[in-house]
Amino acid sequence: MKGYFFAAPLVMSVALLPGCASSPAIDKTLLDAQLHFDRIKSDSNVLRSAPKDVVRAEETLNKAKQLSGYWGSDEDVRHFAYLSQRYSDIAREHASIRLQEEQATQLQLSLEHLQLQTREHELRLARERGDWLVDQLLSLGTARTERGLVMTLGDVLFSPGDTRLDPSASETVLKLAQFLRINPKREVRIEGYTDDQGDDELNQHLSKQRANAVANALSALGIDPGRLQTVGYGEDYPVASNDTTEHRARNRRVEVVFSDESGNFVPAR
Amino acid sequence: MNIQYIGMALMVMLAMAGCANAPAPVEQMKLTSQAIEQAREVGATEDSSDFSLAQAKLIQAQQAMREENYKMARVLAEQAELDARLAEAKAVSGKSQAHIEELNKQIKRLRKRLGEPE
Repeated sequence: MKGYFFAAPLVMSVALLPGCASSPAIDKTLLDAQLHFDRIKSDSNVLRSAPKDVVRAEETLNKAKQLSGYWGSDEDVRHFAYLSQRYSDIAREHASIRLQEEQATQLQLSLEHLQLQTREHELRLARERGDWLVDQLLSLGTARTERGLVMTLGDVLFSPGDTRLDPSASETVLKLAQFLRINPKREVRIEGYTDDQGDDELNQHLSKQRANAVANALSALGIDPGRLQTVGYGEDYPVASNDTTEHRARNRRVEVVFSDESGNFVPAR
Repeated sequence: MNIQYIGMALMVMLAMAGCANAPAPVEQMKLTSQAIEQAREVGATEDSSDFSLAQAKLIQAQQAMREENYKMARVLAEQAELDARLAEAKAVSGKSQAHIEELNKQIKRLRKRLGEPE
């Protein structure tokens, strides 16, 4: 390369008359190329990103300068000055691409970190919402028992002798459905009970029907029926003796037993 | 005899062409076409003035080749190659910038979500 640069002006000096004055247009062209090169030559980022283009920008600039000393070489000077400018611009562009890539890598890391934070944040919110609903359910007559969370829907939620759910039950059932939606792994076993009045078999049937009514209301609210079991216990497992009207009313009930977060129940009675 | 004569005449003609003109910049023409193709592959279009310039100069260079004006062809092809390489770099840079802006947008969105009243 060195030899070529050395030889080029030598050969040309034979062919062309060496001159010292070049046209103002050529001076301007050379100056432009020089300015482009000056902007990149001391930029460590450019040198790091596109060393070859920087070297070529300098080589072509030097060639243009050398040629400018000879008459009749304007076209060549312009050509090499053009190439030099282009090499400078290309080098600068590659440097900015490199900076952009580094910036993108940093941003990608921040983004992934934020995504993780957001997931944790949302999980916490969901958990809080779940806890809040459990509190709500507890206030609606749910108790923590040895059978897990058990919600008791009292007699008042059914019209006497009727298996249809009373409209006043809708708020409770709505809360229940909301809770089940937020805890998709939890399942419920809906158990119906009666007092000891009347025919055993009929009571058993009635208790099962009432349990089904609650299950139907829940599935109407979009809860997968596969998560809802129903049992009718009739007059078994009274919560009070059947001696007074008041006590008998307490025995007529539906209990909703919740599974744990993984869908496991304490075994049924 | 006849064939030998024609062969010799051809060689003389080729030698004369070589003397009368700079060598044909066949390699450079190939390099320039490749540079333009590469720029197109990373998404440079005629909207880019550098890319249009590269294409126009390549066409002129091809014309000069046909006219056996090899000096002119080389000058045009060399310039077109660098025009194309600059167009390529700018196209890549434009894409990187768009990627950065997209990342920034996503980050802003997540920050907002995290900063919302709990």
